[in-house]
Amino acid sequence: MLPQRMKKGITDNPKKLANLIDLVNLPSTLREFVGQSQISRLGCFMRVWSYIKANNLQDPNNKNVVNCDEKLRSILLGKPQVELAELPTLIKLHFPKAAK
Amino acid sequence: MGKVPPALRATPFLLSTLLRNPSPALPDHQQPETPTPLSKPHHFPKKIPKKKSPKSLTTAIENPIPSPSITFNSPNLSDAKSLFNSIITSTTIPFDLKFPNSILQSFASISSSIDDSISLLRHMIKTCPPFCPDRSTYHVLLSQSCKSPNPTLSSVRKTLNLMVTDGFHPDKVTTDIAVRTLCNADRIDDAVELVKEFCLKHSPPDTYTYNLLIKHLCRTRTLSTVNNFITEMRESFEIKPDLVSYTILIDNVCNRKNLREATRLLELLTEDGFKPDRYVYNTIMKGYCMLSQGSEVLWVYKKMKEDGVEPDMVTYNTLIFGLSKSGRVKEARKFLGVMAETGHFPDEVTYTSLMNGMCREGNAFGAVQLLEEMEAKGCTPNSCTYNTLLHGLCKAKLLEKAIELYGVMKEGDMKLETGSYGTFLRLLCRHGRIAEAYEVFDYAVESKSLKDVAAYSTLESTLKWLKKTKEQGLAI
Repeated sequence: MLPQRMKKGITDNPKKLANLIDLVNLPSTLREFVGQSQISRLGCFMRVWSYIKANNLQDPNNKNVVNCDEKLRSILLGKPQVELAELPTLIKLHFPKAAK
Repeated sequence: MGKVPPALRATPFLLSTLLRNPSPALPDHQQPETPTPLSKPHHFPKKIPKKKSPKSLTTAIENPIPSPSITFNSPNLSDAKSLFNSIITSTTIPFDLKFPNSILQSFASISSSIDDSISLLRHMIKTCPPFCPDRSTYHVLLSQSCKSPNPTLSSVRKTLNLMVTDGFHPDKVTTDIAVRTLCNADRIDDAVELVKEFCLKHSPPDTYTYNLLIKHLCRTRTLSTVNNFITEMRESFEIKPDLVSYTILIDNVCNRKNLREATRLLELLTEDGFKPDRYVYNTIMKGYCMLSQGSEVLWVYKKMKEDGVEPDMVTYNTLIFGLSKSGRVKEARKFLGVMAETGHFPDEVTYTSLMNGMCREGNAFGAVQLLEEMEAKGCTPNSCTYNTLLHGLCKAKLLEKAIELYGVMKEGDMKLETGSYGTFLRLLCRHGRIAEAYEVFDYAVESKSLKDVAAYSTLESTLKWLKKTKEQGLAI
């Protein structure tokens, strides 16, 4: 039923997979939030997302929007409000591509 | 086909667990209910070993023998000898033939060299006269030598020679154990070489061994290698493939989508005087299903009918799956009636295949109706059914229905499949339900439907796609 290209997930692409799960040395702002000096991009996203859920930071009127608290603001470009949809992009900013 | 049942496949051997009763001082007459092991001759069944793993042949001790509990911890030969001596001197119970065999097995499982095991055997014969090695004793050694990482067959040959000099001519069981152990250790080429040797010197393989080897060859080698092997066996040793071998071969080529070869094999099989049975036909039908060739699938079914081969459940399910897949749902549906007439009642696989076909046509509503019909007939849908439906509903952009179905799946703790997860996320995002998409992501991770990485990368790429589409001002 599934088209062939759907089955080929990210796990088949070693470069993209590494980009997602390799541990990275964190900048100081992120280090404070995460509480450890190294984390993968996937791990960081999971941390932030569970932080949002744990502290009920989603706007009650529009669940798609997150009202950032002080701590979250420090890692998300100081924005008072972010859309859930841009969360992965914002987190990616902390994980620049390794310079070759 | 000589397949080893999973229960027997791994028979970890631990002497300490077999000898549960660690009280050597108990005289025999104090335990009248325990039958003496000696009363049961250790016979070696001719056919049953095909169903057993070689390991379990010699290790089945039903009655624990009262004896000190021991295990071999070191592969050191002299340690093993002294341990054996201490057992022999400390026990007063009647001697059982199985017991030395299991000691040998235990040592062989950790010993690094076949020579050590052979010396232990010699030592055991010398120090314990009632023990007289039988065929299974040598089979223990043989399976150890086949497992050894030694890239040549020298240790295997050595064991076989030892067997012959000690008066046990290798038989079918010996061949089977050697080939099976070699195949399980991924030494297929060695197995092929050894089989040829067996044909020349000892005992040719029986059909079970032969088919096992063919199966392994099919799995790892090219088609021409397999065919060469078959030709060589036929020409040099007059060992011919039987119907099961042909089924294995046809299955192999069908999985590689080489239907032309399958047709050729079908001819060969008829030339050899076999009549294709329903397994052969089912396999070929499956091959055509993979290529979505509906008319060929139907042709196989008709041919079965002509040949007087009675279709079974697998046939009907394959047929309905193939027809649905190639977009002939209406015809597929007709077969529901045919099935019921012949006493085969459509199961969840049948219905799921049909739903799949309907969803492909974009008829998701029809598929949901079929779900109701199926449940009314007392057939319980499985997670595959729900995933198919979810996928279909999402493709048809029926958001509310899809969310409802997802709720049912969540309640039933059903896993999401990659495809349905991806399409569902896209549909949710398309409707601006980002938070719900995040919730589905959480469910996929929690229920372990997908790996975290896969679930996240799908979410990320979906959101990226959404942003791009919005920026370009395209209709979503």
